[in-house]
Amino acid sequence: MVPTSYYMILSGILFTIGVLGVLVKRNPIVIFMCIELMLNAANIAFVALGRHFAQVNGQMYVIFALAVAAAEVSVGLGIIVSIFRTRESINVDEMNLMKF
Amino acid sequence: MDTASLLVFISLGVLTLVPALFVVNSRSIVHAGFWLLPCFLGVAGLYAALEAHFFFVTQLLIYAGAILVLVLFALMLTRNAMNPTESQSNRLKPVAALVCTAFAAGSTFILVKHPWAITTDTPKPAGVQTEALGNALIQNYAVPFEVASLLLLAALIGAIVLAKSDRGPVPEPAPLADLTSGTAGGE
Repeated sequence: MVPTSYYMILSGILFTIGVLGVLVKRNPIVIFMCIELMLNAANIAFVALGRHFAQVNGQMYVIFALAVAAAEVSVGLGIIVSIFRTRESINVDEMNLMKF
Repeated sequence: MDTASLLVFISLGVLTLVPALFVVNSRSIVHAGFWLLPCFLGVAGLYAALEAHFFFVTQLLIYAGAILVLVLFALMLTRNAMNPTESQSNRLKPVAALVCTAFAAGSTFILVKHPWAITTDTPKPAGVQTEALGNALIQNYAVPFEVASLLLLAALIGAIVLAKSDRGPVPEPAPLADLTSGTAGGE
Protein backbone atom coordinates (compact mmCIF):
# COMPACT_ATOMS: atom_id res chain seq x y z
CA MET A 1 0.00 0.00 0.00
CA VAL A 2 1.44 3.34 -1.08
CA PRO A 3 1.69 5.77 1.89
CA THR A 4 -0.84 8.58 2.11
CA SER A 5 1.88 11.23 2.02
CA TYR A 6 2.77 10.27 -1.57
CA TYR A 7 -0.80 10.93 -2.66
CA MET A 8 -0.82 14.22 -0.76
CA ILE A 9 2.42 15.35 -2.45
CA LEU A 10 1.02 14.46 -5.89
CA SER A 11 -2.15 16.35 -5.04
CA GLY A 12 -0.14 19.39 -3.94
CA ILE A 13 1.87 19.44 -7.16
CA LEU A 14 -1.27 19.08 -9.31
CA PHE A 15 -2.91 21.92 -7.37
CA THR A 16 0.15 24.14 -7.91
CA ILE A 17 0.05 23.48 -11.66
CA GLY A 18 -3.58 24.58 -11.63
CA VAL A 19 -2.74 27.74 -9.68
CA LEU A 20 0.02 28.56 -12.18
CA GLY A 21 -2.43 28.25 -15.06
CA VAL A 22 -5.04 30.45 -13.37
CA LEU A 23 -2.39 33.10 -12.70
CA VAL A 24 -0.86 33.32 -16.15
CA LYS A 25 -3.37 32.30 -18.83
CA ARG A 26 -5.34 34.88 -20.79
CA ASN A 27 -8.08 32.68 -22.22
CA PRO A 28 -10.89 32.10 -19.68
CA ILE A 29 -11.59 28.60 -21.04
CA VAL A 30 -8.01 27.55 -20.27
CA ILE A 31 -8.43 29.13 -16.83
CA PHE A 32 -11.47 26.89 -16.43
CA MET A 33 -9.41 23.84 -17.32
CA CYS A 34 -6.88 24.83 -14.66
CA ILE A 35 -9.66 25.23 -12.08
CA GLU A 36 -10.70 21.68 -12.96
CA LEU A 37 -7.12 20.55 -12.30
CA MET A 38 -7.26 22.20 -8.86
CA LEU A 39 -10.61 20.55 -8.05
CA ASN A 40 -9.20 17.17 -9.08
CA ALA A 41 -6.18 17.71 -6.83
CA ALA A 42 -8.47 18.47 -3.89
CA ASN A 43 -10.54 15.36 -4.62
CA ILE A 44 -7.44 13.15 -4.63
CA ALA A 45 -6.47 14.58 -1.25
CA PHE A 46 -9.96 13.96 0.14
CA VAL A 47 -10.06 10.33 -1.03
CA ALA A 48 -6.51 9.64 0.17
CA LEU A 49 -7.20 11.09 3.63
CA GLY A 50 -10.52 9.27 3.81
CA ARG A 51 -8.64 6.03 3.24
CA HIS A 52 -5.94 7.01 5.73
CA PHE A 53 -8.43 7.56 8.56
CA ALA A 54 -10.85 4.83 7.35
CA GLN A 55 -13.70 7.36 7.33
CA VAL A 56 -16.53 7.72 4.85
CA ASN A 57 -16.57 11.55 5.20
CA GLY A 58 -13.66 12.09 2.81
CA GLN A 59 -15.46 10.40 -0.06
CA MET A 60 -18.66 12.23 0.85
CA TYR A 61 -16.96 15.60 0.31
CA VAL A 62 -15.81 14.40 -3.11
CA ILE A 63 -19.43 13.73 -4.14
CA PHE A 64 -20.42 17.31 -3.28
CA ALA A 65 -17.28 18.71 -4.91
CA LEU A 66 -18.25 16.85 -8.09
CA ALA A 67 -21.77 18.34 -8.01
CA VAL A 68 -20.40 21.86 -7.48
CA ALA A 69 -17.82 21.36 -10.26
CA ALA A 70 -20.51 20.28 -12.73
CA ALA A 71 -22.69 23.29 -11.86
CA GLU A 72 -19.71 25.65 -12.05
CA VAL A 73 -18.63 24.41 -15.47
CA SER A 74 -22.08 24.68 -17.04
CA VAL A 75 -22.78 28.19 -15.74
CA GLY A 76 -19.23 29.44 -16.29
CA LEU A 77 -19.03 28.27 -19.87
CA GLY A 78 -22.48 29.81 -20.51
CA ILE A 79 -21.16 33.14 -19.22
CA ILE A 80 -18.04 32.90 -21.41
CA VAL A 81 -20.07 32.12 -24.53
CA SER A 82 -22.42 35.02 -23.90
CA ILE A 83 -19.48 37.39 -23.28
CA PHE A 84 -17.98 36.24 -26.57
CA ARG A 85 -21.31 36.99 -28.27
CA THR A 86 -21.42 40.58 -27.05
CA ARG A 87 -17.71 41.52 -27.05
CA GLU A 88 -16.33 39.31 -29.87
CA SER A 89 -13.35 38.68 -27.58
CA ILE A 90 -12.80 36.61 -24.45
CA ASN A 91 -9.37 37.87 -23.49
CA VAL A 92 -9.48 38.35 -19.72
CA ASP A 93 -7.17 41.39 -20.00
CA GLU A 94 -9.84 43.20 -22.03
CA MET A 95 -12.74 42.45 -19.68
CA ASN A 96 -12.92 45.69 -17.72
CA LEU A 97 -16.62 46.53 -17.89
CA MET A 98 -17.23 45.88 -14.20
CA LYS A 99 -13.89 47.28 -13.02
CA PHE A 100 -14.26 50.24 -10.66
CA MET B 1 4.78 -1.11 0.55
CA ASP B 2 5.54 -3.46 -2.33
CA THR B 3 7.28 -2.50 -5.55
CA ALA B 4 4.33 -3.23 -7.84
CA SER B 5 1.95 -0.78 -6.19
CA LEU B 6 4.69 1.86 -6.05
CA LEU B 7 5.33 1.40 -9.79
CA VAL B 8 1.59 1.73 -10.49
CA PHE B 9 1.47 4.90 -8.38
CA ILE B 10 4.47 6.45 -10.14
CA SER B 11 3.13 5.70 -13.62
CA LEU B 12 -0.31 7.07 -12.71
CA GLY B 13 1.33 10.16 -11.22
CA VAL B 14 3.30 10.76 -14.42
CA LEU B 15 0.11 10.20 -16.46
CA THR B 16 -1.58 12.89 -14.34
CA LEU B 17 1.12 15.53 -13.91
CA VAL B 18 2.77 15.61 -17.35
CA PRO B 19 -0.51 16.26 -19.26
CA ALA B 20 -1.41 18.87 -16.62
CA LEU B 21 1.84 20.71 -17.43
CA PHE B 22 0.98 20.52 -21.14
CA VAL B 23 -2.48 22.00 -20.41
CA VAL B 24 -0.81 25.00 -18.81
CA ASN B 25 1.96 25.36 -21.38
CA SER B 26 0.40 24.53 -24.74
CA ARG B 27 -0.08 27.43 -27.13
CA SER B 28 -3.15 26.01 -28.85
CA ILE B 29 -6.22 25.96 -26.64
CA VAL B 30 -7.68 22.95 -28.51
CA HIS B 31 -4.52 20.98 -27.68
CA ALA B 32 -4.86 22.10 -24.05
CA GLY B 33 -8.43 20.75 -24.03
CA PHE B 34 -7.35 17.41 -25.41
CA TRP B 35 -4.44 17.16 -22.94
CA LEU B 36 -7.02 17.25 -20.16
CA LEU B 37 -8.19 13.75 -21.12
CA PRO B 38 -5.04 11.81 -20.07
CA CYS B 39 -4.88 13.92 -16.92
CA PHE B 40 -8.44 12.97 -15.93
CA LEU B 41 -7.76 9.33 -16.81
CA GLY B 42 -4.69 9.42 -14.55
CA VAL B 43 -6.80 10.79 -11.70
CA ALA B 44 -9.36 8.03 -12.32
CA GLY B 45 -6.53 5.48 -12.08
CA LEU B 46 -5.41 7.05 -8.80
CA TYR B 47 -8.94 6.59 -7.42
CA ALA B 48 -8.79 2.93 -8.47
CA ALA B 49 -5.41 2.60 -6.73
CA LEU B 50 -7.00 4.15 -3.61
CA GLU B 51 -9.75 1.50 -3.82
CA ALA B 52 -12.43 4.16 -4.31
CA HIS B 53 -14.10 2.27 -7.13
CA PHE B 54 -17.22 4.42 -7.14
CA PHE B 55 -15.12 7.51 -7.84
CA PHE B 56 -13.17 5.70 -10.54
CA VAL B 57 -16.42 5.31 -12.49
CA THR B 58 -17.67 8.80 -11.57
CA GLN B 59 -14.42 10.40 -12.71
CA LEU B 60 -14.68 8.66 -16.08
CA LEU B 61 -18.34 9.62 -16.53
CA ILE B 62 -18.36 13.20 -15.22
CA TYR B 63 -14.87 14.54 -15.87
CA ALA B 64 -13.62 12.56 -18.85
CA GLY B 65 -17.14 12.44 -20.30
CA ALA B 66 -19.33 15.40 -19.48
CA ILE B 67 -16.99 18.21 -18.41
CA LEU B 68 -14.42 17.58 -21.15
CA VAL B 69 -17.14 17.58 -23.83
CA LEU B 70 -18.56 20.84 -22.40
CA VAL B 71 -15.13 22.49 -22.48
CA LEU B 72 -14.54 21.36 -26.07
CA PHE B 73 -17.99 22.68 -27.06
CA ALA B 74 -17.12 26.06 -25.54
CA LEU B 75 -13.84 26.03 -27.49
CA MET B 76 -15.71 25.39 -30.73
CA LEU B 77 -18.32 28.10 -29.99
CA THR B 78 -15.63 30.74 -29.36
CA ARG B 79 -13.47 29.97 -32.36
CA ASN B 80 -10.85 32.57 -33.31
CA ALA B 81 -11.69 34.51 -30.18
CA MET B 82 -8.02 35.16 -29.54
CA ASN B 83 -5.15 35.88 -31.88
CA PRO B 84 -3.21 32.59 -32.01
CA THR B 85 0.06 34.30 -32.91
CA GLU B 86 0.32 36.31 -29.71
CA SER B 87 1.30 34.70 -26.45
CA GLN B 88 -1.38 32.86 -24.48
CA SER B 89 0.12 33.94 -21.17
CA ASN B 90 0.38 37.34 -19.58
CA ARG B 91 3.64 38.98 -18.63
CA LEU B 92 3.55 37.57 -15.09
CA LYS B 93 4.59 34.13 -16.31
CA PRO B 94 8.24 34.01 -15.05
CA VAL B 95 7.34 35.43 -11.64
CA ALA B 96 4.29 33.16 -11.30
CA ALA B 97 6.33 30.09 -12.29
CA LEU B 98 8.93 30.97 -9.66
CA VAL B 99 6.33 31.51 -6.92
CA CYS B 100 4.47 28.30 -7.82
CA THR B 101 7.68 26.25 -7.81
CA ALA B 102 8.51 27.63 -4.38
CA PHE B 103 4.97 26.83 -3.16
CA ALA B 104 5.14 23.26 -4.50
CA ALA B 105 8.56 22.71 -2.93
CA GLY B 106 7.40 24.12 0.39
CA SER B 107 4.22 22.06 0.54
CA THR B 108 6.13 18.91 -0.45
CA PHE B 109 8.66 19.58 2.32
CA ILE B 110 5.88 20.05 4.88
CA LEU B 111 4.05 16.89 3.75
CA VAL B 112 7.25 14.83 3.94
CA LYS B 113 8.07 16.15 7.40
CA HIS B 114 4.53 15.74 8.73
CA PRO B 115 4.26 12.89 11.27
CA TRP B 116 1.50 10.88 9.67
CA ALA B 117 -0.55 9.18 12.34
CA ILE B 118 -0.49 5.44 12.06
CA THR B 119 -4.12 4.38 12.07
CA THR B 120 -4.99 1.07 13.59
CA ASP B 121 -8.08 0.68 11.45
CA THR B 122 -7.30 -1.19 8.28
CA PRO B 123 -9.17 0.15 5.24
CA LYS B 124 -12.35 -1.70 4.52
CA PRO B 125 -12.68 -3.69 1.29
CA ALA B 126 -13.96 -1.64 -1.63
CA GLY B 127 -17.44 -3.16 -1.84
CA VAL B 128 -18.10 -2.45 1.82
CA GLN B 129 -16.78 1.09 1.33
CA THR B 130 -19.21 1.82 -1.49
CA GLU B 131 -22.07 0.39 0.53
CA ALA B 132 -21.16 2.58 3.51
CA LEU B 133 -20.99 5.60 1.19
CA GLY B 134 -24.49 4.95 -0.15
CA ASN B 135 -25.90 4.43 3.33
CA ALA B 136 -24.31 7.64 4.64
CA LEU B 137 -25.61 9.55 1.62
CA ILE B 138 -29.26 8.81 2.44
CA GLN B 139 -28.92 8.87 6.23
CA ASN B 140 -26.48 11.39 7.70
CA TYR B 141 -26.03 13.44 4.53
CA ALA B 142 -29.61 13.43 3.22
CA VAL B 143 -30.10 17.22 3.54
CA PRO B 144 -26.84 18.20 1.78
CA PHE B 145 -27.72 15.66 -0.90
CA GLU B 146 -31.05 17.41 -1.55
CA VAL B 147 -29.35 20.81 -1.50
CA ALA B 148 -26.88 19.54 -4.11
CA SER B 149 -29.75 18.45 -6.35
CA LEU B 150 -31.29 21.92 -5.97
CA LEU B 151 -27.93 23.47 -6.89
CA LEU B 152 -27.73 21.34 -10.03
CA LEU B 153 -31.28 22.37 -11.01
CA ALA B 154 -30.39 26.05 -10.51
CA ALA B 155 -27.24 25.61 -12.60
CA LEU B 156 -29.27 23.93 -15.36
CA ILE B 157 -31.75 26.81 -15.52
CA GLY B 158 -28.98 29.40 -15.20
CA ALA B 159 -26.98 27.91 -18.06
CA ILE B 160 -30.05 27.93 -20.33
CA VAL B 161 -30.87 31.56 -19.46
CA LEU B 162 -27.26 32.67 -19.99
CA ALA B 163 -26.75 30.88 -23.28
CA LYS B 164 -30.13 31.86 -24.73
CA SER B 165 -29.78 34.60 -27.33
CA ASP B 166 -31.87 37.65 -26.46
CA ARG B 167 -30.79 39.95 -29.25
CA GLY B 168 -33.96 40.54 -31.22
CA PRO B 169 -36.30 38.07 -32.83
CA VAL B 170 -35.07 34.91 -34.44
CA PRO B 171 -34.62 35.46 -38.22
CA GLU B 172 -37.40 33.94 -40.23
CA PRO B 173 -36.54 30.71 -42.02
CA ALA B 174 -36.23 30.71 -45.78
CA PRO B 175 -39.55 30.15 -47.56
CA LEU B 176 -40.30 26.60 -48.46
CA ALA B 177 -41.87 27.49 -51.82
CA ASP B 178 -39.54 25.28 -53.80
CA LEU B 179 -40.29 22.23 -51.72
CA THR B 180 -44.07 22.66 -51.51
CA SER B 181 -44.83 24.18 -54.93
CA GLY B 182 -45.97 20.85 -56.30
CA THR B 183 -48.76 20.34 -53.78
CA ALA B 184 -49.80 23.83 -52.64
CA GLY B 185 -49.91 25.79 -55.86
CA GLY B 186 -52.75 28.25 -55.23
CA GLU B 187 -51.15 30.55 -52.59
